[in-house]
Amino acid sequence: MQEATYLILTALAAGSQHGYGIITDVTDISDGRVQLRPGTLYTALDRLRADELITVDREQIVDNRLRRYYRLTPEGRGRLAEEAARLQANATAAVQRLRLTPGLSGGIA
Amino acid sequence: MSESARLERRYRRLLACYPPTARRENGEEILAVLLACAQDGQHRPGAAASVDLLKGAIHAWLWPSWPPRTVRTAVRLLVAAAVAQLAVLVITVVTAGSVHAAVAHASPGVATAQHAVTVNLVIDYVLDSLAVVVWLWRAWRLARGRDGARIRLAVNLTGFALGILVALGLGAAVYAPADLIAAVMTWLIVLVANVLLFSAAANRYYRPQPRPVTPWHGTSGT
Repeated sequence: MQEATYLILTALAAGSQHGYGIITDVTDISDGRVQLRPGTLYTALDRLRADELITVDREQIVDNRLRRYYRLTPEGRGRLAEEAARLQANATAAVQRLRLTPGLSGGIA
Repeated sequence: MSESARLERRYRRLLACYPPTARRENGEEILAVLLACAQDGQHRPGAAASVDLLKGAIHAWLWPSWPPRTVRTAVRLLVAAAVAQLAVLVITVVTAGSVHAAVAHASPGVATAQHAVTVNLVIDYVLDSLAVVVWLWRAWRLARGRDGARIRLAVNLTGFALGILVALGLGAAVYAPADLIAAVMTWLIVLVANVLLFSAAANRYYRPQPRPVTPWHGTSGT
């Protein structure tokens, strides 16, 4: 799973969000490292909708502007959980191995 | 005209690069996000945002609607089948001499047998070339959401199977086993692609339920 996809799914894990909310949330989650632009975001959202990992939750008109909210589907929640477990296992393995080589720990106590 | 109105008009011009269907589906929503992301006093789109929108537009023209994973896999399999078919064509050309030699060994001095082999090889060249074009064309149409292409692919697959059976009847297993094996492998690849194209997710993609869309207001900036 690409990092942008993972971050978008993570942004939707706590509840439905609209496009701008996803962009700001992804920036927060990644500590400013990943900044999605609208063209990229909507290409990704179309793909995730096609794969049935997310769906449109509701639409609102705010200040005469369309605001469409997206949410995770059960399949999307499952895929995110799998990916998070995989990344966590990889990170744990990396940290354990770094601890086995004193002096090359990269700051890990 | 205010700065925000100027910015909106310029964003609308960029969004006009998207295909009409994508504009109707997402245009107003993307515009709202673009304006929400704009900085105070900004009156023209930034270079990075413009490039990002143009990339999105190119993508939307190439893939008008994102197919589900099963359809994407099927399309890739069809492209692989085209490559395999091209390999069959190359094998047929390269092994033509050995086919002639095998026939000459089985029927020494029989000119009609050699003539029949030549005719069959020419037919093979034409059919293999045609198959490469057909698999690629079907892949293109299927990626663009053409429901009829699924049925036509099934018809092509049946015709291909009959062709293999005819080749078997003509002794291809003896005279041209490499060609036959390659043809069967290609047929199996296309068969898997065809099965994927009739999955539940693919059915929803090719026969979507109508959904209300927000009208696109053009480039007037109103």
